[in-house]
Amino acid sequence: MDRRSAIRNLALVMGSAAILPYCTPGKPIAHYTHFDVNLDQQNLVAELAETIIPKTTSPGARDLELDKFVWLMLDDCTKKEDRDAFFKGMGEFNDLVKKSYNKTFSESTMDEKHTILNTFEKKPKPSQKNIDPSDDKYSKELLGFYGTVHWLTAFGYTESKYFMTKEIVWELVPGRYNAYFPVKNLKAAKNG
Amino acid sequence: MSTNTYDAIVIGSGISGGWAAKELTEKGLKTILLERGRDIEHVKDYVNATKGPWEFPHRGGRTVQMEKDYPVLKRDYPLNETNLDYWVDEKESPYTEVKRFDWFRGYHVGGRSLMWGRQSYRWHDTDFEANLKDGIGVDWPIRYKDLAPWYDYVEGFAGISGNHDNVPILPNGNFMPPMDMNCVEKDVAARINSHYKGSRYMIIGRTANITKPLPGRTNCQYRNKCWLGCPFGAYFSTQSSTLPAARATGNLTLRPWSIVTRILYDKDTKKAKGVEVLDAQNNQTYQYFAKIVFVNASTLNSAWVLMNSATDIWPDGLGSSSGELGHNLMDHHLGVGAGGLVEGYDDKYYFGRRANGIYIPRFRNLNGEKRDYIRGFGYQGGAGREEWGRAIPEFSIGGEFKDALTEPGAWNMGIGGFGETLPYHENRAFLDKTKKDKWGLPVLAIDATIKENEKKMRVDMANDAKEMLELAGVKNVQVYTSEAVLGRGIHEMGTARMGRDPKTSVLNEWNQVWDAKNVFVTDGAAMASTACQNPSLTYMAMTARAANHAVEELKKGNL
Repeated sequence: MDRRSAIRNLALVMGSAAILPYCTPGKPIAHYTHFDVNLDQQNLVAELAETIIPKTTSPGARDLELDKFVWLMLDDCTKKEDRDAFFKGMGEFNDLVKKSYNKTFSESTMDEKHTILNTFEKKPKPSQKNIDPSDDKYSKELLGFYGTVHWLTAFGYTESKYFMTKEIVWELVPGRYNAYFPVKNLKAAKNG
Repeated sequence: MSTNTYDAIVIGSGISGGWAAKELTEKGLKTILLERGRDIEHVKDYVNATKGPWEFPHRGGRTVQMEKDYPVLKRDYPLNETNLDYWVDEKESPYTEVKRFDWFRGYHVGGRSLMWGRQSYRWHDTDFEANLKDGIGVDWPIRYKDLAPWYDYVEGFAGISGNHDNVPILPNGNFMPPMDMNCVEKDVAARINSHYKGSRYMIIGRTANITKPLPGRTNCQYRNKCWLGCPFGAYFSTQSSTLPAARATGNLTLRPWSIVTRILYDKDTKKAKGVEVLDAQNNQTYQYFAKIVFVNASTLNSAWVLMNSATDIWPDGLGSSSGELGHNLMDHHLGVGAGGLVEGYDDKYYFGRRANGIYIPRFRNLNGEKRDYIRGFGYQGGAGREEWGRAIPEFSIGGEFKDALTEPGAWNMGIGGFGETLPYHENRAFLDKTKKDKWGLPVLAIDATIKENEKKMRVDMANDAKEMLELAGVKNVQVYTSEAVLGRGIHEMGTARMGRDPKTSVLNEWNQVWDAKNVFVTDGAAMASTACQNPSLTYMAMTARAANHAVEELKKGNL
């Protein structure tokens, strides 16, 4: 889905919110080729991405719209069974947060968010292609959901224009190969 | 005289076809270069070459739809969104896999010269003599001395960067200055070279990326985006090199969208008189006539053209009298290697993206060694530092994680083997008349597999990789192996082999079809064995040599 139709969809929701007493959380607000996303789902992925890559002195996931990249990759580059598993895992993630704090992830404090995510992070990094099968605490869908969001957020960040032009030395035309480039010059090159 | 009459016809505009066109036009022949696909103009049509990684919607990845549309290409690395339109439309041009054969094709001006790996190594007499010595296939009708001056010549024009390493099995060449090894590669090479005392070497890759300018071409800018087309013309391709040279003569006509359906054979003169072309856009048939025809459609399609040129005299195709046309299909077998982590060097990095790696030339079954298989393999590889996505045990979320992503990760080093595949008569391609392509033409059926010799070689390929990396100090060395699938090397060879005897080969020592002397096949189809070096440089040398011979013979009135 392109940005224009996302805005249009959002405008529709905003418009209906003015009429309806509240915005129905389950109502789709973004339409992708293979699935619709409702406000809760959109918020969850955006919050997760922001927790993984937060705004600090530099832009975070929300500034860089990394959640949109997660949805795009899920829509275009993920097989149906993996997409289904993603949404199932997302439901389990919501249940886990609810059980732990009796609120949604978006409503949780930063400490609570970190605590939840750190329960995943203490294990080998989960991803859809590399799930520890010996783990019996979380289902493979739950680990897959978190792993996918984590991986795509980090990938989206390191392949973003911001990261590749401001944070690391990536030149379109390096023009030379320096086989002995001291690491300490990296920062200098960044600034230079 | 018909306007469709030229001095020479070249079928295919890839690496060897571009060379044929350049050589023939420079020697004064009015030449038509026929290409089955669309034109891709140098620089102008390299539409993705100057984009940043973030400008690709999926950051260079592949979508589920792409995997549906490209069921063959998806089997290996080439499928990605950055150069998708450089690969054949598989729905338009299917083929039949009697056994799995990964056929990665580029149907456009320049062919796979746009996407090739650019590694360029000479053969050695050991390679040319191997068939005779082992009693395998047929003896090569040429030796190193026949190709050596042509290697010099094509290296000089194409621009091959490399070091004079003085490796006995891998002749030095007419090189531009080599690229540099990074600090880890340099140390690993030093350890391997000193440990094996001249029986094994690790050298910087010899690559068709220029390190000094050539006319109309800028030296390599270390972008490592070669497969998108180089706006600097820094690597050898038809577009950057042979096509401009051929055009400069004023003797070249380039005709894209021209599927050559058959070579027209004249039974009275026992020569070809031209070719028939199906225009891929308007489906009209045209005929072109010439004194000589160069077949450079890439190995399997060159075989297809010859086989589809059947006549009542040669019912199995032009060049089929030996019964070897379409047979002895080969490739390099790969997918076996090892890699691991390198400790230390934390204060060192590199700048620029070098589109080249290291090379370990063949060392097995030389100097009297006899393994339980014959021939050998080489390795390509390299060392680098991990960037994003590496394991950062301390921080996986939050600000610290974000900061850590900007730091270079661990050094690692890996090598992967390229093994020689023997010529087996039963490994073949043939016309499948039950299946038609978009244009109603019969498709190719491919039936080829590796055998015991290659399987045994792969055991060494894995073990030797581990052994060498470990003794060079690489830690936690992991071996990888995979099922050997032919085609995956993208080094298809054979199907119209050269030889000394018309009864057992398709081509003579000058790449002339025994059954029609004015037809020359100078791409991978001509190969009688594969050695283990990347083959394109040898096609270039062979083509220049054959073109020179063709023109001499024309002058003498022999063709």
